[in-house]
Amino acid sequence: MKGIRLRLVIVGLIILILAGFVFLRGPTPHIQIKPETLYSFWKINITNTMITSWLVVALMIGLVFLASRRWELVPRGVQNLLEAIIEAFYNLVVSIAGENNGRRFFPAVATIFFFVLFANWFSLFPIFNVIGLGQEEEHGFVMEKVDLGPLPATYVSLSSPSQLQGQTIDKDDPEAAQKAEEERDKGNFVGEIRPFLRGVNTDLNTPLALAIMSAIFVEFWGISTLGFFAYGRKFFNLGGLLRGIRRLSPSQVFQGVVDAFVGFLELVSEMVRLISFTFRLFGNMFAGEVVILMFTFLIPLVLTLPFYGLELFVGLIQAFIFAALTLVFGMIAVAHGEPPGAEEAEAEVHKTQTTESQLVGSEQ
Amino acid sequence: MEPVFLAGFVDGLKTLGINLPSLLAQLINFTILLILLSIFAYKPMMRMLDERRRRIQEGLEAAEQAKQSAARAEQDVQAQLERARQEGQAVIGQAQQIAARIQEEAHQQARQDAEALVDRARGEIQLERDSAIADLRREFAGLTIEAAEKVIGQSLDPKAHRRLIEEALAESTLGGDGDQPPSGSEPRS
Repeated sequence: MKGIRLRLVIVGLIILILAGFVFLRGPTPHIQIKPETLYSFWKINITNTMITSWLVVALMIGLVFLASRRWELVPRGVQNLLEAIIEAFYNLVVSIAGENNGRRFFPAVATIFFFVLFANWFSLFPIFNVIGLGQEEEHGFVMEKVDLGPLPATYVSLSSPSQLQGQTIDKDDPEAAQKAEEERDKGNFVGEIRPFLRGVNTDLNTPLALAIMSAIFVEFWGISTLGFFAYGRKFFNLGGLLRGIRRLSPSQVFQGVVDAFVGFLELVSEMVRLISFTFRLFGNMFAGEVVILMFTFLIPLVLTLPFYGLELFVGLIQAFIFAALTLVFGMIAVAHGEPPGAEEAEAEVHKTQTTESQLVGSEQ
Repeated sequence: MEPVFLAGFVDGLKTLGINLPSLLAQLINFTILLILLSIFAYKPMMRMLDERRRRIQEGLEAAEQAKQSAARAEQDVQAQLERARQEGQAVIGQAQQIAARIQEEAHQQARQDAEALVDRARGEIQLERDSAIADLRREFAGLTIEAAEKVIGQSLDPKAHRRLIEEALAESTLGGDGDQPPSGSEPRS
């Protein structure tokens, strides 16, 4: 009984794969690193990633607003879910960074995490990348036109056994213009799609913006905890070198040079961090999008699903990595150099010494 | 050299799609999200978490207190029970003592009563015996007088006669004292 059902499922899946392969093959996807510009106002280009980003922000705010009209002590429904998620993340942050730092770092780290996570997962909806504005060109997809009331619409027709692929006119085709002309004569539309929605993190600007925010927060935490000069000394550590020169001690000069170089490296690593943050997230998400597009193009049904699962996982992992790295860098920035309290301990020792000497003095 | 490098850098950024408006838009987006989430999600939630933790803490403390007071009450009850038991023991002991005393007294009383009874009986017996002896003596005196009259044939003055007998009897052991051993003394006739 069980075996029969399993076999039926397998046969069904194979049929689905074949049907998809025959009827649902689209045109060759056009992959572009730059986000597509949808509208231009004055000199500002409104890209699809911007729109998606606004949508993501609006949805997140809406969800939170819906759940948090009344934060109740005994949670219910959506509030319960959101709260469980946020609380789990909060506990994680606190367990990594400790109670005090965790509370300070939490809003920024959590916003990074949830924004990236929501954006990544949201971009897996099938409305992404396939619906958009058509742009007439000499190359691109060949699509059929229909009239939907006032809106002229075009669509890619289903593939068929005789035509196992959506029609595409390649950009590098020397006869592209001619082919496009032929198709237009047939009443078809030739051009690229500029999708309305595109994964937010597949636009380099977003990861870069997040990385910049992350860096700003890290520096802010460092400066506000250690003070501007104490924190700056981490990068411009010339004190030891100057002291060595003043004392004319070669070993101290050497030590000072090493310290200064280490500080310089810290500065460089701060910059590199920005780049690695940006490209890690961008690379993962862009690659994910390309993989899904390509697999949808190659085998439209069933076999794309594992990649959706993979992308769910990657989306979560990337969000977590971004947030956790921000958290860790924040902790490093806050707890740099001498362990905090070393100066206080020193001052304490000094104080006890003076009181002792005072005592001795009073006894005399 | 440097401007060329810089220009290349900017070109590279452009090729990758990085531009200032997009970047600024994303930065502003993120800031808005951060601020709104802080206001609507994190702050109330953290406050509520604290509140909840506080309440749970309080609840735990209250439970602890209740447990302690229950234990204390238990102890009190135990102590009271113990005291009551001791008191009961004391009361029982007292009662036993009293009972023993009463018993003792009753014993004593009974013995005394018995002794008094015996004494009285003895006295009565004594009296009976005395009167019996007196009767016997009188009888005997009369008998003796009669016998003597018959023997002597003459009547003595009965008064003198009686006196004589009395004297004789006084010398005999039947004289009523009974202290003297009756050995060797025969009533004289």
